[in-house]
Amino acid sequence: MKLTLKIWRQENAQTKGKLVTYKLSDLSSDSSFLEMLDVLNEELASKGEPVVEFDHDCREGICGQCSLVINGKAHGPEEHYTTCQTHLRSFSDGDTITIEPFRANSFPVIRDLKVDRSSMDRIIQAGGYISSFTGMAPEANSIPIHHDIAESAFDSAACIGCGACIATCKNSSAALFVSAKIGHLAKLPQGQIERNERALWMINAHDDEGFGSCSNTGACVMVCPQEIQLLDITRMNFEYNRALCYNKD
Amino acid sequence: MALNAKIPEGPLKDKWQNYLAKTRIVNPANRKKLDVIVVGGGLSGGGAAASLAELGYNVKVFFFQDSARRSHSVAAQGGVNAAKNYKNDGDNVYRMFYDTIKGGDFRSREANVYRMAEVSVDLIDHMVAQGVPFGREYSGYLSNRSFGGVLVSRTFYARGQTGQQLLLATYQAMMNQIKVGKLTQYNRHEILDIVIVNGKARGIIARNLNTGEIERHSAHAVVFGTGGFGKIFYLSTLAMNSNGSANWRAHKKGAYFANPSWTQIHPTALPQSGEHQSKLTLMSESLRNDGRIWVPKNKDEKRAPGDIPDEDRDYYLERRYPAFGNLVPRDVASRAAKERLDAGHGVGPLKNAVYLDFKTAIEKLGEDTIKERYGNLFTMYEKITAINAYKEPMKISPAAHFSMGGLWVDYELQTTIPGLFAVGEANFADHGANRLGANSLLQASVDGNFILPNTISNYLADDIKTGKIPTDSPEFEEAEKAVKDQVSKLLAIKGTMPVDQIHRRLGKIMFKEVAMSRNEKGMIWAIEEIKKLRKEFWENAAIPGNENGPNSELEKAGRLADYLEIAELMAVDALNRKESCGAHFREDYQTPEGEAMRDDENYMYSSAWEWQQGKDWKLHKEPLEFTEVKPTVRSYK
Amino acid sequence: MAVKKGLFKTSVGRKNLMAVTGLFIIFFLIIHLVGNLILILPDSFFPVEFWGGVENVHNMYNAYSHFLVSFWPVTLVAWVLYAAIMIHVIDAIIITLQNNKSRGEKYQVTDNSTSNWYSRNMGILGTIIGVFIVIHMAQFWLKYKVLGTEHDLYELVFAIFKVRWFVLIYEIGIIALGFHLIHGIESAHRSLGIYPKKVMNIIKYVALCFSLVMAILYAIIPIILYLK
Repeated sequence: MKLTLKIWRQENAQTKGKLVTYKLSDLSSDSSFLEMLDVLNEELASKGEPVVEFDHDCREGICGQCSLVINGKAHGPEEHYTTCQTHLRSFSDGDTITIEPFRANSFPVIRDLKVDRSSMDRIIQAGGYISSFTGMAPEANSIPIHHDIAESAFDSAACIGCGACIATCKNSSAALFVSAKIGHLAKLPQGQIERNERALWMINAHDDEGFGSCSNTGACVMVCPQEIQLLDITRMNFEYNRALCYNKD
Repeated sequence: MALNAKIPEGPLKDKWQNYLAKTRIVNPANRKKLDVIVVGGGLSGGGAAASLAELGYNVKVFFFQDSARRSHSVAAQGGVNAAKNYKNDGDNVYRMFYDTIKGGDFRSREANVYRMAEVSVDLIDHMVAQGVPFGREYSGYLSNRSFGGVLVSRTFYARGQTGQQLLLATYQAMMNQIKVGKLTQYNRHEILDIVIVNGKARGIIARNLNTGEIERHSAHAVVFGTGGFGKIFYLSTLAMNSNGSANWRAHKKGAYFANPSWTQIHPTALPQSGEHQSKLTLMSESLRNDGRIWVPKNKDEKRAPGDIPDEDRDYYLERRYPAFGNLVPRDVASRAAKERLDAGHGVGPLKNAVYLDFKTAIEKLGEDTIKERYGNLFTMYEKITAINAYKEPMKISPAAHFSMGGLWVDYELQTTIPGLFAVGEANFADHGANRLGANSLLQASVDGNFILPNTISNYLADDIKTGKIPTDSPEFEEAEKAVKDQVSKLLAIKGTMPVDQIHRRLGKIMFKEVAMSRNEKGMIWAIEEIKKLRKEFWENAAIPGNENGPNSELEKAGRLADYLEIAELMAVDALNRKESCGAHFREDYQTPEGEAMRDDENYMYSSAWEWQQGKDWKLHKEPLEFTEVKPTVRSYK
Repeated sequence: MAVKKGLFKTSVGRKNLMAVTGLFIIFFLIIHLVGNLILILPDSFFPVEFWGGVENVHNMYNAYSHFLVSFWPVTLVAWVLYAAIMIHVIDAIIITLQNNKSRGEKYQVTDNSTSNWYSRNMGILGTIIGVFIVIHMAQFWLKYKVLGTEHDLYELVFAIFKVRWFVLIYEIGIIALGFHLIHGIESAHRSLGIYPKKVMNIIKYVALCFSLVMAILYAIIPIILYLK
């Protein structure tokens, strides 16, 4: 198949970027979206031109490194896919496709389609963990957990931290990402001890990193590759309000 | 230099405890005077970084991803083994040790394997405490599934995303240590060399992948949790950026490389569908618990899989290995698949796949049960292939997966460079010639969390008076210059052949001759081809752009330059080992039934290769002594 | 380092404030609707002996209006309501400014298929409602209560709703209100953290029904009066 690509090229966060048009032909509809970019980059490289920089790693939808907005939709046209799982069969021959990076003020562009998402790391640093050091743990089966609670905790823990929720959100809110971690740990008995501090600190960090407020539009949920639920955000708000009630200082 | 594995005294089951009782440890007040560099933020590197920081050392961790949570441990699916015996099915540390030794075809180091099985018990406790949502029974207690190559259920799992969940726990432990200030992370940094001062590993040269800046970092010890190099085959289950460069550069500075040719070819990956394919996605081995593998008996079968009756199907694993059936170890399953594919029974447009069928299981257990067990794998399969595997069988094919070989380490996980340690897939000792399923997460985690923190102190105890290692010494100077020279050399090639194309060609050579089935002629051919390709790379690789900023082609080229050398060593190693064992299958050394034929008399050793500048590698042999087990013919029939 | 808390200090706190004020305003909407529905009742609904001296809608409505402006607890609640509206508006402005700052560079192409237009445009709907409230209050509250220039509210209502484009303005305001409510009620409960799945499913359903009923009932009043 033949495709026209309009790709965002930007030298770095300080310079202005623009869309550049490329044409590709002889593509297989079985090839993945990123393999199409590989083809383009091979063409550019063999001509000695700088390639289009984009993030990718595992290419099986679990590492969360790939991060493209394709025709205005984070991770492409299919709902709950990652960019790397998007295949050309989702497009038609002759289509024009616009490719942009995940955008948010807290995601500065590194180059072209690569962005810096360390702001998300810093939110986890604020409290997205259980402070159990190596060696402290009791016997695993001494903490029984109801099957359904473990499954529910898993649903939240499945977040791959790709940032599509933020890229999609009209407010660039990281609520879905933060709520997935707060929800994962708040549901489990192991996470109870630090429950209040975690909610307060993580939401503080979320705001300090410059992310916006959640408007509950649910757009994030529709692009989330792991189908994290809007209910997780609701739960996070509960955790926050609960923490305010219990907080002593 | 003679190899000293430093295996502690005493009976096998007491060795680790004896070691712990006698090893030197560092006073907590002195730990803050000691710096450790960890390379790799995955399960092994990340676990080491977090655990060392918890102990009070100053730790810097480097990785090329944008966040440690993306390290390729994330992609492990099926589970992690531990000898908890929660199932009351006769499991214990010894049985797990024995299964692993046997699974590795008696080519692993006994003491290391026993230690791994012993510590596995603590690992599950640790991960549960960190909040890993393992699968649970309705009683609330932990659930287990069984995995290839064993007869008990000892695999703990978090749906099909166990690696992700363990990695996130480790990542969170790292983030905790960053918050308290004991750990500093350097994301998007690639290690280009290690620095040796007075014979000891004292630092690294890293390239900041955002700015292109070459940086010097010093420490009292360096830990590599750099993973495997299976991406050398280009098409593999590994992440696109996984690489062997750090290990290779350390090898060139004196670290011996052990058993480099032992690469696990995973039997259940997605088949290649086209020329530009970049990745073969893994489908967890756990699928073989309920899926049955078959090919049509008729080579020219035209019917859809659902229309082929049982009598026209060849369930070749069940036929050849009635005792283990579909649950034979990976090397056996892959080789059996290759045998069928070579015989022309493959399915799919390229005739390069076999069927993995869930029909029987769905009929017996219901679609809901299968969905709960493997739902995310089926979804993943559908996302990639647009095929609903509840309705028709999956098409799967063998793909390069895991490097059993790696940097040679002693019992303390120290390489032949004093002060350089290797953990997880980057080292070599635990899996022998074939790794059992769900043992890689285990090895990575226990190395990083439980073993290294207890062995590195023996080395660091000598350094409490050393003080900060300066980065302005001639050694750092020299290493930085060498790195910069290589970058300039790569950029000066200005050829026309894209790096990935050369890599693909390398992959083809390797997959043809240095993968599932090997012979002398083929490998001699491969070595010649690799040399030719290496020459072509240095003459005609197309590496555009410059070194001042992100340049993914430059990164790939640096890695490929190393792969082109590793490839040769892999072939040399495979050529040297005139026997078949585990994943290393020599066509010239097989039984009449086509099974692997070991030669315990001549090859009961690990090959550790020493780099000699301008000369062929020098082979050092670490003899393998089995005190508790008697090497037998490995049979799964 | 202290944790930042409080309603104006964090993203969740600010949304809580939106939710509480919004829900309070909804409470007022119900009362207001009940009063206004008197306007569309037929005269025959008021048999003299039953209502004790009130013989038609005209009298009933004016009596109700008089009660509202003269009974002091109602005045007190009214002031709380004005405050709630002001806080709702100011908070919305603060949140919007903050969100715009978070947004960064705009996308060249946008795909809005993942959310409802009214969920995305609560600010615009709110602004329409705000403008509507100003017009509405200038027409009635200002003249009847503040300036006291009009004494027969019933007559005033009828006079206004005989003007076609006033009816149109009211309909636009009410439609905006309806959509604002559909998203607002659900979102408010989410912001406050009412998370059990079953409860949230009920709230979603109730929010939709309630918003529709409110919007339809409010919307028919001007039309009936115009036609009457």
